[in-house]
Amino acid sequence: MSTETWERVLWKQQPFPDNYIPDSFLSALKKNANFRPYSYWPLSLASCAVTQHISILFIFLVTFVHIYDASWDPRILVWLSIGMFIVGYLVWEILEIYIFGTRLGDFTSLANALKSSVLVFLSLLALSPVLRTLTASTSSDSIWALTSCLLGLNVLLGDYTPPRDPKRIRERLTSVLSMNAAMSGSVVLASRLQDDISVFALMLFSIQMFALFPILRTRILLTPPATRILLTITLTGLSVYLTCKVSTIVTCILICILVFVTFAAPAMLVWSQKYKNELRGPWDVAVPQVR
Amino acid sequence: MGPSIAMISDFFHPVVGGVENHIYMLSAELLRRGYKVIVITHSHPPDRVGIRWLSPGIKVYHIPFVTIASSATLPEFFTFLPYFRNIILREHIQLIHAHGGLSSLGHEGILHAHLLGVRTVFTDHSLFGFDDAASILTNKLLAATLAHVDAAICVSHTGRENTVLRSNIRPSLVHVIPNALVVDQFKPHQPAKPVSETITVIVISRLAYRKGIDLLVATAPKICAKFPNVKFIIGGDGPKLIDLLQMRERNLLQDRIELRGPMKHSEVNDLLNEGTIFLNTSLTESFGIAIVEAACAGLYVVSTKVGGVPEVLPNDMISFALPEEDDVVRAMAEAIELVSEGRHDPQRAHSRIRNFYNWGLVAKRTEKVYDFAMNSEPTELPERIRKTLALGPFVGPIYLIMLVVDIFFFRVLEWASPREDIDYVHRDWSFDNFVQFAGQHTKKSEKSIENSEFSSVAVGSEE
Repeated sequence: MSTETWERVLWKQQPFPDNYIPDSFLSALKKNANFRPYSYWPLSLASCAVTQHISILFIFLVTFVHIYDASWDPRILVWLSIGMFIVGYLVWEILEIYIFGTRLGDFTSLANALKSSVLVFLSLLALSPVLRTLTASTSSDSIWALTSCLLGLNVLLGDYTPPRDPKRIRERLTSVLSMNAAMSGSVVLASRLQDDISVFALMLFSIQMFALFPILRTRILLTPPATRILLTITLTGLSVYLTCKVSTIVTCILICILVFVTFAAPAMLVWSQKYKNELRGPWDVAVPQVR
Repeated sequence: MGPSIAMISDFFHPVVGGVENHIYMLSAELLRRGYKVIVITHSHPPDRVGIRWLSPGIKVYHIPFVTIASSATLPEFFTFLPYFRNIILREHIQLIHAHGGLSSLGHEGILHAHLLGVRTVFTDHSLFGFDDAASILTNKLLAATLAHVDAAICVSHTGRENTVLRSNIRPSLVHVIPNALVVDQFKPHQPAKPVSETITVIVISRLAYRKGIDLLVATAPKICAKFPNVKFIIGGDGPKLIDLLQMRERNLLQDRIELRGPMKHSEVNDLLNEGTIFLNTSLTESFGIAIVEAACAGLYVVSTKVGGVPEVLPNDMISFALPEEDDVVRAMAEAIELVSEGRHDPQRAHSRIRNFYNWGLVAKRTEKVYDFAMNSEPTELPERIRKTLALGPFVGPIYLIMLVVDIFFFRVLEWASPREDIDYVHRDWSFDNFVQFAGQHTKKSEKSIENSEFSSVAVGSEE
């Protein structure tokens, strides 16, 4: 009787007390079974997408400030936007060839892109008087507060994940909520401007920055790290340069944010991994494997 | 004569379920063994309120609390104390036994028990994970409660490991006592069915994701295609019923797969008797009473190997499958072969289960846990405070505040409703007394009918 070994069964009366702790207690427990530790530099590189987005946001804000105090001519901004659109479209097509290996010379897609861009261009032009007077009865203070919230939301909700399967992202919009927040933010900002052409220029620019660039960015994430680092440095440099002409304090804040996002945040994530404690065992709800 | 016991749970009759049935059967069995047992649960307005008696003499207190979801009350932490104090004092309760990890009434009872010097036992009936928000929250609640418990009971070894991990309780406090069943309710088909050509597979389950109905939907057509002599009968209702109906439609299996819909507990044995194999595709199961019931009714069991399932039956009464489509088909093929060769004897299976599981045994083992709890050293207040603070930097202080407020609240109650004003129960219900009094009464009324003002006084001592 005393030589009997304990068995992990319930149907048998065993000569052990009910609170007997067998040697095999918790032996089925697996800790951090599916855990893949992050390393610092790949994380830092992945955070470049966030850095780029923040830089873009500040470039947009500086542009607004200049248009608002009429130190920049809105017409130049319109031409700049058109130029950016063309450059962006070319980059898009080049990446299409580079990633998917498609042949150049598919003119139907070019015609489609041209058609829809002209459509957006004209409808924005037609809408700008409406947008200009949209918030005429609201005080500017409320607009600044509202815009900060909306743009903050845009940064928070943005989709910065590199696509797992490059074929699947071709038609996907990045986080819809994020883009909507940015567009609403730009609309209320634009409604503070003096004349129709300024409103039109700012809206055109914001579409480039917040709707089209994130789509291009998911594709840029598939390019070699060197390209991404170069792009990030260019954008951060540009944003810091433009911001320092407007305000020193804001520049300091911007630099702090950028350094934090690119270098400190990944380090914190790597550090916090030592607290990772994933418990797996037979009590977990099994995942049925059905073909 | 052991301690007077109060079972506390949100889950009790008239709701039907595993925990509900467990509490009822355990209470009945403890009563038979001479304990005094009452049950405290929430009310079911409009008619199930106040105090009710259930056969064979279980007194049930229905506390007027509102339920939120699936018969659980809101975790309020303090509102139960006035009722709790009153009931514990008037019934002279020495030990409370809370059931169910999601029963806030039970948790609250354990948190208040030390104020009245009452010992506590907790039974955990279910398994929880660690990675979703609901589990993280409820695990914290459980840890906070089990820090104050004198002994805990789990229904399987897997459940015990899970509870220990979730609540950080000392493993030596946790006992494993399986569920049981009323063996006479599940009998094999009489007379024994001859080995027939058609093999009927029975599935009785709530048709929900956690019961692995997706696996059933995937495997049933394959099994039907592979074995032309197999037929399915599926009992139960739930959100996945529609998936089963679609599967049957798509594969034109209307004549091979029968869906019986929701069923009463009393109909289960009749359905089990129609089949020879019981299939369970659950994705998680702390004990799996349905498996034991089916085995008791003489069916061969095929089940996914999850949770406590591998512990409940000896290996020659059950075939295990991984929760994968192909493996379920493989295990079913194995079982069909075994059954069609007549290698499974229903009568023998039934008599074996009779030896494995019965409520008398469960009560006897639970009794030992009660002794363990009664004889353990009570936790003093400084130790309680230390344990509460050890819960965590955020939860610890919150629970400490609750502990302190609870003590003050208790003092206020002691002052507002003094103990000497409470209606105490002086004599408890006893069947023997009843028989004796009733007998006397009949004899007397035979002697002199005019002397009939002697009515059934003091049958119990109930208000």
